[in-house]
Amino acid sequence: MPIGKDEILRIANLARLFVSEEEIGPLQRHLNGILEHFERLKELDLEGIDPFAFECDTAGSSRQDAVSVWPGREDVLAQAPNREGDFFRVPRILDESDEVHLDECR
Amino acid sequence: MNAAEMAKAVREAKISAVEIAEGAIGRIRLIDSDVRALLTPLFERALEKAEEIDRKIELKQDPGPLAGVPVIVKDNLCMRGQVTTCGSRMLENWRPPYDASVVRFLEEAGAVILGKANMDEFAMGSSTENSAFFPTANPWDLERVPGGSSGGSAAAVACGYVPLALGSDTGGSIRQPAAFCGVYGLKPTYGLVSRFGLVAFASSLDQVGPFARSVEDLALAMNVLSKPDPADATSSWTTRPDYAAFLGRENLKGMKVGLVSEFEDYPVQSEITEALARVESILREAGAEFVPVSLPTTIEAGLPCYYILAPAEASSNLARYDGVRYGLSAEAESLMDLYMKTRGLGFGPEVKRRILTGTYVLSSGYYDAYYLVAQKARIRISREFRSAFEGADMILMPTTPTLPFRKGEHQDDPIQMYLSDVFTLPVNLAGLPGLSLNAGYSKSGLPVGVQFVGPKWGEGTLLAAAEAVERVLGKPTCAFGGEKA
Amino acid sequence: MRKPRTPVIGLEIHVQMKTESKLFCACSTDYIGAVPNTNVCPVCLGLPGALPVVNRKAVEYAVRTALALGARIGLSTRFHRKNYFYPDLPKAYQISQYDVPLAEGGRLPVGEEEKRKWIPITRLHLEEDAGKLVHSARDGRLGNSEYSLVDYNRGGVPLMEIVTEPELSTPSEARDFVSRLRQLVRFLGVSDGDMEKGSLRVDANVSLTDPQGGLGTKVEIKNMNSLRSLERALEFEIARQEECLERGEPIRQETRHWDDGKGLTRGIRGKEEAHDYRYFPDPDLPPLVLSEAFVEEQRRLLPELPWDLKERFVLQLGLSSEDASTLTELPGIARYFEGCVREGASPNRAANWIRTEVMRFLNEKKTSIENFPLSPEKLSRLLARIDKGQLSTTLAKTVFERMVTENLDEDEALEKAGAIAGKVSGDNLREMVKKVLEKEGPTVEEIKSGRDSKGKKRSFLCGLVMRESKGQADPAEVAKVLEDILDR
Ligand SMILES: [Mg+2]
Ligand SMILES: [Zn+2]
Repeated sequence: MPIGKDEILRIANLARLFVSEEEIGPLQRHLNGILEHFERLKELDLEGIDPFAFECDTAGSSRQDAVSVWPGREDVLAQAPNREGDFFRVPRILDESDEVHLDECR
Repeated sequence: MNAAEMAKAVREAKISAVEIAEGAIGRIRLIDSDVRALLTPLFERALEKAEEIDRKIELKQDPGPLAGVPVIVKDNLCMRGQVTTCGSRMLENWRPPYDASVVRFLEEAGAVILGKANMDEFAMGSSTENSAFFPTANPWDLERVPGGSSGGSAAAVACGYVPLALGSDTGGSIRQPAAFCGVYGLKPTYGLVSRFGLVAFASSLDQVGPFARSVEDLALAMNVLSKPDPADATSSWTTRPDYAAFLGRENLKGMKVGLVSEFEDYPVQSEITEALARVESILREAGAEFVPVSLPTTIEAGLPCYYILAPAEASSNLARYDGVRYGLSAEAESLMDLYMKTRGLGFGPEVKRRILTGTYVLSSGYYDAYYLVAQKARIRISREFRSAFEGADMILMPTTPTLPFRKGEHQDDPIQMYLSDVFTLPVNLAGLPGLSLNAGYSKSGLPVGVQFVGPKWGEGTLLAAAEAVERVLGKPTCAFGGEKA
Repeated sequence: MRKPRTPVIGLEIHVQMKTESKLFCACSTDYIGAVPNTNVCPVCLGLPGALPVVNRKAVEYAVRTALALGARIGLSTRFHRKNYFYPDLPKAYQISQYDVPLAEGGRLPVGEEEKRKWIPITRLHLEEDAGKLVHSARDGRLGNSEYSLVDYNRGGVPLMEIVTEPELSTPSEARDFVSRLRQLVRFLGVSDGDMEKGSLRVDANVSLTDPQGGLGTKVEIKNMNSLRSLERALEFEIARQEECLERGEPIRQETRHWDDGKGLTRGIRGKEEAHDYRYFPDPDLPPLVLSEAFVEEQRRLLPELPWDLKERFVLQLGLSSEDASTLTELPGIARYFEGCVREGASPNRAANWIRTEVMRFLNEKKTSIENFPLSPEKLSRLLARIDKGQLSTTLAKTVFERMVTENLDEDEALEKAGAIAGKVSGDNLREMVKKVLEKEGPTVEEIKSGRDSKGKKRSFLCGLVMRESKGQADPAEVAKVLEDILDR
């Protein structure tokens, strides 16, 4: 089923991406184009393939539990779009309960 | 002079690093107003670094294998304190507080970084027209594109600004512009070169690699770039060979080169087919044996597979550009407003297309139907390559189906644009090394490239074969004449 | 037939692990009281180009916990990205584990011996913590805030998420489960398990079975930051659901917030459409592959589990269940007690003293057993004197007091307490005995007329003398003196 306008808007919202009225049409056509191409994959025989079976010779790589202090902190805060003292500042958070999960479970 | 000769001359104090840098800067000033390969020149800094190199020489210290060699790096590689835009409004004024590992490797080896190269926004594109700032022109025909996304780096080497440049390759972004600009471009095996400090597009496909105008320089660059990096968990610990050691073979006896049967009837411009034939006969002459290999579904499956997986990863990698910590940040009433506006304003059309595609294929209800199927197809493609390499040491195939196209030619049809990566992106899906080399010029004077693809860790074979071709066709020449820096 | 509605409770617990550095970078995990945004680096700030590398110690801690719970360790698991936008999440995704968690299965006991019940664990996985928001409003509430401030010091601190099967049936059981888990992570030394400090956070799912015993609608409650508020929140929520159902109102599937001040749960208004986190394997991280040898090594490093220890204290040392529970609440206390027993102290007296004197001191001084001035050996020596009757309990307490507050060694303390045993002796003692006997004429008569076969009355008089001497007499001498006065 081709992707409709409200589907585009649903995804755009999920991606936190403002799209203008003019952008919607082209985006719709593009996405449907991609998915049309994708239909070819459906003809492939992919039976019994473990999608994550790619060999990986770095499996299990890890680091020691050692602390080091990073000196660049001020360079970051100095470039913060909206710095307030030692903090990054963000505008009013309206009800976004679908997003507060991590914040709330503390 | 190529990079190797420059470094040698500098180390032997026959020429100063400053002289070389000044020469390069001069040529950039002369030509780049037309080509526009550079996004950010770093001339003052470069001259200071060059002086440091010369001081070391005076003090009889060894500045390293790239002593005084001027290089240009793609603008998605972080350089501490230097604007790194990724060709995007989103990062227009962002100065990374740290160096990419490969940038560190280059400077530790004595290279002098002259500037940051133009690119398609966040490396998404095949023409460098998606740069948020300006397009780069093809040095051989200013009306045409240099390819992309590493178009600036490729053009810089083609124009002879520098003998070496760094690009990144996610679906062909080194090899396709190398072919379009008539230079060498090597996309290493996934995990060979560190990604730490490379601004991510699609993490499981991205690799950093060199552009050069001589095979010797490619090997030299690989010796510097290809190091295990504890800061990149996907960086392999396998010990690297000395890539220079693969060069100087007087013939290719015993080397099996594969030709992909399925590719024969894929529409490719005649001049590219001719170039392939040219290279084939050169390799035969050198003693290589040709064998047919089969990649039954690679060409069919590659494109759709790639254009599901790469956007999926990109949609997540680019979610961090939210206007809170760095980069563009829109005036906003609320947090939601900040997100929507910042990202709506900061990203160009192609980036938006990919973010939305990626978000869609990962969103609930579509993951299994798209992302998972594509992931399976990816496994299948890498298996096809693996069995192909049971009978061959490397594969000879086109880099691109067409010669460099005109600016704007594909702007209203992105999917047409995607097709120019049809031969390169399967190589990323399989995590293999790919080398694009110049194999002559079209009647219209445009460079024609072909591609060598190897098995994992097969870079050495590709370099040896490329050298054999270089012996016959000669080193790629610079656009705008002159065998300059 | 109509059954009573019974509560069905499941818990989701986030435990902060006390590694030195964060889960994917070398920044310190010690964020409490740190200047905002000081424990940060390109990785935990999500700067473009930065990449995560997993902390081996965090994996060890999680594996140890999983083994202690008797869970099955996955030898090859993956990290996933949980994608959503929020200012405390610098990459706009949390690195977590999804379809293949580090461990599955396992169980934890609640309730006492005979009523002990094993609560099955669903899964245990690794994930990174998020940063912290400070809301501008005076009451610190998000709702009333003009703007918020973000501090990433906590971002990237390693968490274990532990999910139980919904098999807890009362608020007190849930409370017990959490305190057992807290006890466990403390014994394993993988977390300080402090709910108030947020190093252990509990979310709960509550529903009521319908009259036919079928499952009801699940409500998630959050924001309980003490064992007590967890229990209260569950009690409130269960009552609330019962009332709703009595009134014939359906239960809304929702997330509710516990308001500790008001003592009620409040539904979080707004879109209740399911989250779409777009989980997918994190391409920056290779599979987390563990060798059998590694897992065995972690198993070898497991200490005796608190509930086994408690059982041993009851069965082998004859402690009461309460004493055993108190002594096994904290690993340090348990070790201290065992030390005393090893030094020859009688288990019950040692247990008793640790519960009362020692713990009182620790509470008053707000310190932990680790920096308690008296070694188990010293305490045992003091207790031995009581057993030998050289010291009365009261006097021993004053001596103890001086030893811990003035850091005196035992003899000095005894000296100062004027409690050298046998100080009241010889003639003074003889006088004291006489005085006592005068007051106890009748008893003396009974003894003299031989009505004290079991010697009860004699020891009664002995006691009186000891009390008179404030324990400063040697009981043996008292007995001797009594004898020859009575026998005259
Ligand atoms: Mg969690
Ligand atoms: Zn960090």
